[in-house]
Amino acid sequence: MDAIVFLLPIALGLGGVFAWLFLVAVRDGQFDDLDDPPERILHDQD
Amino acid sequence: MAPRPVGPPADGRVAEPRGARAVGHCPHCGAAVEGPTDLFCCNGCEMAASIIRGAGLERYYGERTEFAPRPEVTGGGDWSSVAITSDERGLVEAHLVVDGLRCASCVWVTEKVLERTPGVEAATISYATGRATLRWDPRRVDLAALARRIAALGYHPRPLGEERAPDRGLMLRLGVAGFAAMNIMLAAASLYAGWWGSMDPRYAALFRWTNLVLATPVALWCAEPFFAGAWNGLRHRVLHMDLPIALGVAILYGQGLLATLAGQDGYLDSLAMLVALLLLGRVLESRGRHRTTEAAAALAGAVPATARRLGGLARGPAGTEGRAVEYQVVPVGELRPGDRIDIGAGEELAADGLVVEGSGQVRMALVTGEAAPVLVAPGDRVVAGTLLADGALTVQVEAVGRETVVQRMAAQLKAAQDRGMAPSAADRIAPWFTAMTLLIASLTFAYWWQARGSEVAVTRMVAVLVVACPCALALAQPLAAAAGLGAAARRGLLLRSADALLRLGQADRIALDKTGTVTAGALVVIHASDADLRIAAGLERYSSHPIARAITTEAVRRGIPLPQATEIREIPGEGISGRVDDDRWELRSAGPGQVALCRTGAPETGPTAMIGLGDASRGDAPATVARLEDLGLSVTLLTGDHRDVARAIGREAGITEVVARHDPAAKARWIAETRDAGHRVVFVGDGLNDGPALAEADIGIAMAEGAASSLLVADGIISRRSLAPVVAGIHASRAAARMIRSSQHRALVYNALAVTAAAAGLVNPLVAAVLMPLSSGLVIWNAARVEGLVAGEGSWTL
Repeated sequence: MDAIVFLLPIALGLGGVFAWLFLVAVRDGQFDDLDDPPERILHDQD
Repeated sequence: MAPRPVGPPADGRVAEPRGARAVGHCPHCGAAVEGPTDLFCCNGCEMAASIIRGAGLERYYGERTEFAPRPEVTGGGDWSSVAITSDERGLVEAHLVVDGLRCASCVWVTEKVLERTPGVEAATISYATGRATLRWDPRRVDLAALARRIAALGYHPRPLGEERAPDRGLMLRLGVAGFAAMNIMLAAASLYAGWWGSMDPRYAALFRWTNLVLATPVALWCAEPFFAGAWNGLRHRVLHMDLPIALGVAILYGQGLLATLAGQDGYLDSLAMLVALLLLGRVLESRGRHRTTEAAAALAGAVPATARRLGGLARGPAGTEGRAVEYQVVPVGELRPGDRIDIGAGEELAADGLVVEGSGQVRMALVTGEAAPVLVAPGDRVVAGTLLADGALTVQVEAVGRETVVQRMAAQLKAAQDRGMAPSAADRIAPWFTAMTLLIASLTFAYWWQARGSEVAVTRMVAVLVVACPCALALAQPLAAAAGLGAAARRGLLLRSADALLRLGQADRIALDKTGTVTAGALVVIHASDADLRIAAGLERYSSHPIARAITTEAVRRGIPLPQATEIREIPGEGISGRVDDDRWELRSAGPGQVALCRTGAPETGPTAMIGLGDASRGDAPATVARLEDLGLSVTLLTGDHRDVARAIGREAGITEVVARHDPAAKARWIAETRDAGHRVVFVGDGLNDGPALAEADIGIAMAEGAASSLLVADGIISRRSLAPVVAGIHASRAAARMIRSSQHRALVYNALAVTAAAAGLVNPLVAAVLMPLSSGLVIWNAARVEGLVAGEGSWTL
């Protein structure tokens, strides 16, 4: 049971890494425009 | 009609008026053209195609799903006042809007043409909004040249109006709150599981402190918009929905903090969940709103102008006298009454003034709403913002900037709009709700204090305040309204606010402007025989006059191949002549609304045919009017035009009630009187002259092609060339209202039950953690049904 003392912070840390990645993506502007990229992928061949 | 972009039409509907004459097709726009090979139909198409080939982008013609638009020769416009930012490498960046993009291939070819222009580093265009971001080297190319290149392809670049960056703060807060809410459940579930077994106090403490660590940023940072909203409301003496939410969050966190310090379970898990859900509602709401403000900003970007001022002194080197010049290009801001300015064909007038020299036809649609150009001569007054279709004028300036007719009208409209701000429906129940909660909380405290002592009383009172947090109630309106706004926007109606959406569905009368609303607002051919039209189109093929555009467009629409004309001579303001099929023809204006086509020279001369021009009702107008009446709205045609013209258009569109000869002020008065009689009125219009009526109506809706200032005062914008989006908007409004009512009823019932249970002492952190997200979940599910309800009303809208 004592393993929880280590596992809990590890679990939170892993979750935190993904939360941080999300924040980076938001700051990067990846969520500013959700309508265009799906159109764009059809045409960006060169 | 199904798109059929490559090769000639296969269905044989092409009119061939004189037996077997070889027919080709314009390789750019697909219009039929007489001749054995595929000749270009006009200079514009040839130019556009040569730009595309020059950039090595022939692939566009194979991939496109729609024919290209026929490029229109437009004035250069002025790009000097567009905001430009530069970076450390000396490159500059600017944003503008490109209109007329029809398909993804249009976006692709425009981007590539720009990117392959020497000096351009990057060009991206949004398909959804037409917003273009350009980065280039100012030493090699300038913005005006890039804009001309876009225009030459047949698309219309415009400067972007005022715009706001998307709100990333809310998204960041949602990310943090979502992370905390999910992880806090991990610890909280363990704690609750411990209630039925035995849990070592060390682990219980570990979980509680984990909860506190996760909940602290949620309460102190993520929930900040609610605190700010509540504080703002208090400062302006308005109680709105943020206040009970802020109160709830503060109490939840305070209780959780004290409970953790005292070694007891708190409500921190509920707190994180609630804040995450509320933020989700906010994000969805602001995305819907942002789309509308962005569209309005893009449309309202008035073209900043320079003017050619006659005479004066050019700036010489410092300290020296300048030399006299013929004219000087100056910013509009430097013009003064009394100056004389020159205006060429295709240019916009920069100031109000008196024509002193020259003549030409001016398109006054912005001010009068009339589509046909008006001939002006010395002695006539002209207004800033209108366009000189042909000819050349010298104008003595009488008013500039804010003093011009257009600007004065826009300012009045803006003032009228600012007065009419109303609180939303959800905010109106907030004071009542807050008072009720506080009252029950104090009654609970009083009762338990005298029955069981202060400790029990405090616990129960806190439980009441916790479960009374109006999360579901606060989510009900924004979520359903965001879904409704989205449903309307996908069908072509952009509404400015949730409130506007909800008011739209309550309307029982709708007044439609004639020109530009029920009708297309552009000059079109009303009657002409195919043979006459063919000759006229041949003469007008290479001209850019509005009448020429109307005639060639109609010929292309009817599938009449454009003939080759020779010896073309165009006399501005009078007409055009040339040789078609070995005969000499002349096309000249013959009074309002028609042009005469004559064969000149031997053997006989005389008027042979009249071509009628005017404004016809939109194709989908009758269907839309019928749908509106089915929805219980009575439809009125409200116009400044003559009774007979209005009646004729009314008959075409199926509108029986016609109110004619109402000037802008009378239109607004008519709407005010109808409102006083107890009706809720929607007004749909387009021109600057419709502004007062748009502002006066319960809901004013402007057509996107209309005047910029009418877009600013309107509650909604129709982004398609059609009236049908109004019907879709009413469906969306009614669906959203139904779901909001249903959600609010459920939330109130839930709150009443939960508060009663809490006052009786039946609520603990576990019960709260299950109940509160459940009620919010019901609200979210209701909001998700809005799109389905709107779609169920039929997919007849275009």
